[in-house]
Order: sequence, then C-alpha cells, then structure tokens
Amino acid sequence: MAYPYVHEREVRMISRNFGDPAARTLDGYRERGGYKGLERAFEIGPAAVIDEVKASGLRGRGGAGFPTGLKWSFMPKAGVKPHYLLCNADESEPGTFKDRELIRWDPHQLIEGCLIAAYAMGSRHAYIYLRGEFFEASQVMARAVEEAYERGFAGRRILGSENDIEVTVHVGAGAYICGEETGLMNSLEGRRGEPRVKPPFPAAVGVYSMPTTINNVETLAAVPHIVEHGGEWYRQWGTDKSPGTKLFCVSGHVEKPGNYELPLGFPMMELIEDVCGGMAGGRALKSVIPGGSSVPLMDVEDCRECTLCYEGVEAAGSMLGCASVIVMDDRTNIVREVRRMVQFYAHESCGQCTPCREGTPWMTQVLRRIEAGGGTEADLDTLLDMSAQMTGTTICVLSDSAAAPVVSSIEKFRDEYLALIHGAERAEVA
Amino acid sequence: MSAPARVPFRNPGWAGNTGEFDLTEAEVRGTDFVGERPLDGGHESAAPSYPYMLPDKDPDAVLFEGPYRERFEKIRTRYPTARAALIPTLNLAQELRGHVSPETMDEVAALLGLASAEVRGTVTFYTMYNKRPVGRFLIQVCTNISCSLCKGEEVLEAFLRHTGTELGETSGDGDFTVIEVECLAACGFPVAVQINSRYYENVLPDDVPALLQRLREHGE
Repeated sequence: MAYPYVHEREVRMISRNFGDPAARTLDGYRERGGYKGLERAFEIGPAAVIDEVKASGLRGRGGAGFPTGLKWSFMPKAGVKPHYLLCNADESEPGTFKDRELIRWDPHQLIEGCLIAAYAMGSRHAYIYLRGEFFEASQVMARAVEEAYERGFAGRRILGSENDIEVTVHVGAGAYICGEETGLMNSLEGRRGEPRVKPPFPAAVGVYSMPTTINNVETLAAVPHIVEHGGEWYRQWGTDKSPGTKLFCVSGHVEKPGNYELPLGFPMMELIEDVCGGMAGGRALKSVIPGGSSVPLMDVEDCRECTLCYEGVEAAGSMLGCASVIVMDDRTNIVREVRRMVQFYAHESCGQCTPCREGTPWMTQVLRRIEAGGGTEADLDTLLDMSAQMTGTTICVLSDSAAAPVVSSIEKFRDEYLALIHGAERAEVA
Repeated sequence: MSAPARVPFRNPGWAGNTGEFDLTEAEVRGTDFVGERPLDGGHESAAPSYPYMLPDKDPDAVLFEGPYRERFEKIRTRYPTARAALIPTLNLAQELRGHVSPETMDEVAALLGLASAEVRGTVTFYTMYNKRPVGRFLIQVCTNISCSLCKGEEVLEAFLRHTGTELGETSGDGDFTVIEVECLAACGFPVAVQINSRYYENVLPDDVPALLQRLREHGE
C-alpha cells in the first residue's frame, strides 16, 4: 500500500504526487505534467491570470477563506516600488499538517504556484517562509528551488522570457503568531513576529514597507492547475461559494488519520465514517473541531448535517478554517482538551494587546481549577465574560481564537463542566 | 514492509505505521533525494539556515569562517536590509554553537550592524533559540490537542522518566534535554516528537526506551 492512505472518493489534484518520491525532481514533476501552468501564464499575460483565478472562485486555504483572485487584484500596478509575494508555510495551527506534505512531496508544484502568482502581480521576489521546525521539508524545498534556478525556471529570464522572479527559501525560528500575515512580515524583516495594525493593508504597505501579497501553501499549490485548465474547470468540484478541492487534515480518534483531498461540500459524517475508516476502536463520536484549534467545537448533532465547505460549516455554528478536522471520541475529557488549547494560546500570545496577554493565562488558570475539581458555577460566567472581552478587541485574532473553544464548549458541553464542578462537591459531602 | 531492519522500534520516525506502507523511510522523508547538502549551502536562494541541527556543537565557534562565512554572505544577498537577514544569521549561529548566548547576540549584532538590544528583542521572541546550552539531543514532545488526544502527556512523562531529567533540564551525561513543544504540524501521526532536526511520529510511551537507546548508539 502506498503512503499515505488514499480513498477512492478523493479528487487528487494538488495531492496527486503524494507518495511518489520521483515527483520531487524537476524532471519527475514535468513528466507528471508540471510547469504547464507557468507556460500558459506567460502566454496569456498577468491580467488574464488574475481573471482565471477570480473565475475559479479559489478561496484562501490558510483559514480566512478570502477570495484569492480578489486579493491579487488589490496589488497596485507595477511601478517604481518592488512588489513582494510571500508564501506562508509557517504551518502552526494545531490540527493542521497539510503544508508539510505539500512541500515534501511536491516542492515544484509550490514553486510553480509562486512563480505564477508573482508574475501575475508584478512581483520579482517570492519568499517561502517555512517554520523553523520543518528541517526535512526545507531541505526538500531548498533542493527544488536550486534545481529550478539551474534549469532556468527561476531567477533571470525564466524559460527564455523577459520575466525575472527570484525565489528565496526562508526558515523561521518557532512562533505560532508568525503564521498571522503581518506577524510573518515583521518576522521576515528580522523583528519580533508581532502582528501589525491594519490598515495599512499588506497590498499597500507590506514587507519592507512595499506592496505585498501573502498566500498559503495550499492556495498557491492549486494555482498551476487553475491556470493550466481554466477557472471554470476548477468549479466542477465543490459548491458555488466554495469551489474546488481541499485537503482535509483529519487527526484524533479515527482509524485512518491523514490528509484527504476532497471536493468542498463533502459531508462531515462520511469523511469520518467512510473516508477515515470510522472512529478508532469503534467508539462513539463526541465532538469535532472542524478547522483547527481556533474554531468553535461542534457536537454530534451539529456534525450530522454538516457539509465541509465554508458556508456549510458556518451554518453548523463553526468555521472551516484550514479544514483541520480534529475528532474526539466519547472518552474525551472536553474540559482538559479545551484547557490544553487555551494553554497553547497563552504560550503563543505575543503580548501586545492586554485582553490577550492577560486573558489567555487567566483562562488557563480557571480551566485548570475546574479540571482539578475546584471550580464553581460562577467560574463559567467568568470564562464567558472574559471571552466576550477578548473577542474583537485586539490587533489580530489570536485572542478570538482562544475564546472560541471556551465559549463553544461551555455552550455545548456544559454538563461536562458541571460534572467536574459538582462531582467535587458531592465527594466532599460523602 | 520495507523499513530498515535495524530500527528496533515500531515507529521508524516517518509518517505512517510500520507494516502498512510499502515505501522506505528514505522515500517518505526525502533523505534519499536530498542527501548531504553542500557545506557552503549551495545556491544563495536555497542556502537557508536551520536552528539546532547538529548534535555536535561548539559554543566557542567563530562567527563565521570557512563554509559558514560563505553561507552567511549568501544569506545577506537575499534580503534588502541587514536587519532582515537577522533570523537566518541567528539560525546559523545556533546551528554552530548550539545556543544563543548574550555574547552571541552581541556578535551577531556587530556582524549585521544592528543594536544589541534589537537582536535581543528578536531572540527572546522565538522559541527555537536556546538561551542556554542544551543536551546533544533536544527532545521536543508535542502535547497539543491532536497529540494530547493520543497520549501526548504520557509520552512526555516517559521521556522524562527514562532520561531521568526534569522538564527543560539536561541529563547528567549531557545527552538529553526534554521539553514540551507546541504543535509540530504532524497531527495525523501522533504523538509527534522532534529530536534535533528530525521528526519522530506515531510515538507511543512504550517506544521511548528503544528510541533513546537508538539515539545513544546511532545518533540522530
């Protein structure tokens, strides 16, 4: 059996070379149809490339789901200022493990995506920002970029055209917040990775104070396919509002965790029961986090009708995020897991904004108290009150992300909190 | 089953459970293709630097000479300002010295023409910079949500127990430092553990003694 797990219902577009080591070389990639998107991009010109991406309806895969073509069109016309393209490969949202696979199996697909995007926006330098922990992935990426330079696919006069695009592999040094776009820009400037106040938006003032566009690895990986085959072609998958395919990173209590590329709009229960082989050990489902640790938890009721597209998950009370589906079975202690997530945000808070800097450790303390059996019902009100003050009050959304699992878990799994709170009281009486 | 026979534990450190997939570890991890990087870092576009990569560190190494000087010069060409080259330069310094001491910060500041305080501000922000020396093997165990659901904390405890260390402390023989780490982006293959530059995946508490033994005998 080839690595990784493959399911017949998958539509393997950006993941088509997973498990195929020969695709890592430039020749291997070209034999599999690679770099045709770049050739077509040079034929049709930058404006037409942006139009194709707009027509495809591709939405940013990093979590926010902003339409990619529209984002690209915000870039000013090429002028005296240099433009920059940044590829966000700082994959660090808990539950997400797609970008490492995209990079280590198919580095040239990402390079091609970067080149097309840079070309479309008149950018002559693309930085691929990898998180510092990705040693293997950065080795593969570095070798691929080097090969692209040697063979005339990057650098000066790409493929004999007039287009010059530099590509640089940049390796970070460990900080969740550098996955936030303006935090990443500060980090790329050698500063602390603290998010910036917007506006000005990156398209006007980005990295090195120049017009900048930043895209996720998975977004850029889809671009060559869209440009090669056209925006309408991409729309054959997915829904009207969420076209195309998406990698679903399934982790937690399922038989076959892994990355599965499925059309958006795929039913959540079928993902768990069919594609992932059901719950591990045949246990019952308790809760799902559909988009990485920053989105609200769902209970079984929410999951049943939920389809995995941006609007579908929103209707079920959560967010698709980067489609990192974390599955929890009936033995899971929800309070403990929520505490673990909030503890993470406390660790990763950059400390610029008071609600986040003070709120995340405080929430962790309260949750720990409840977990240890020393909580009261008033603690739940305190948590909800803190959550309200931490939502929409800070520079970036880290603080909102910390509040999301707390609020949703108190809403949906209040009984679990109460059991811990009153369990201790009952024990005292006994 | 084609994982190398010399691997004495269930998980050879790559994504996937042994026995289920027919690719070798090298094929999955890319080591067969990547091989050894040239000392000078190769093309300047791809001469990135990595925080803590070597088990053998030299805290007194010169910043920078020989191939490291070449890599440093290449890094400088890729960024429009000296300040922007700071993180790759610090990575390079740590790769060589194993940690970033206050003296190292001053030296890096002088190399790039920055104020020491600026460098200190940056270093203290990032978790991968070791502010004090660590063991030959820095063991980072993920206990974030997906790993936590699959015994992350137990694996962490097993590492502490079998190395006989406290969290963040280095074992008496100087071999191991065990720390807790936030999500390593290998959530589908819990528990994820990073040892120096390398990922070990699907680690269970019972794997820990054999894993440590392998490190002692074969290195990373």
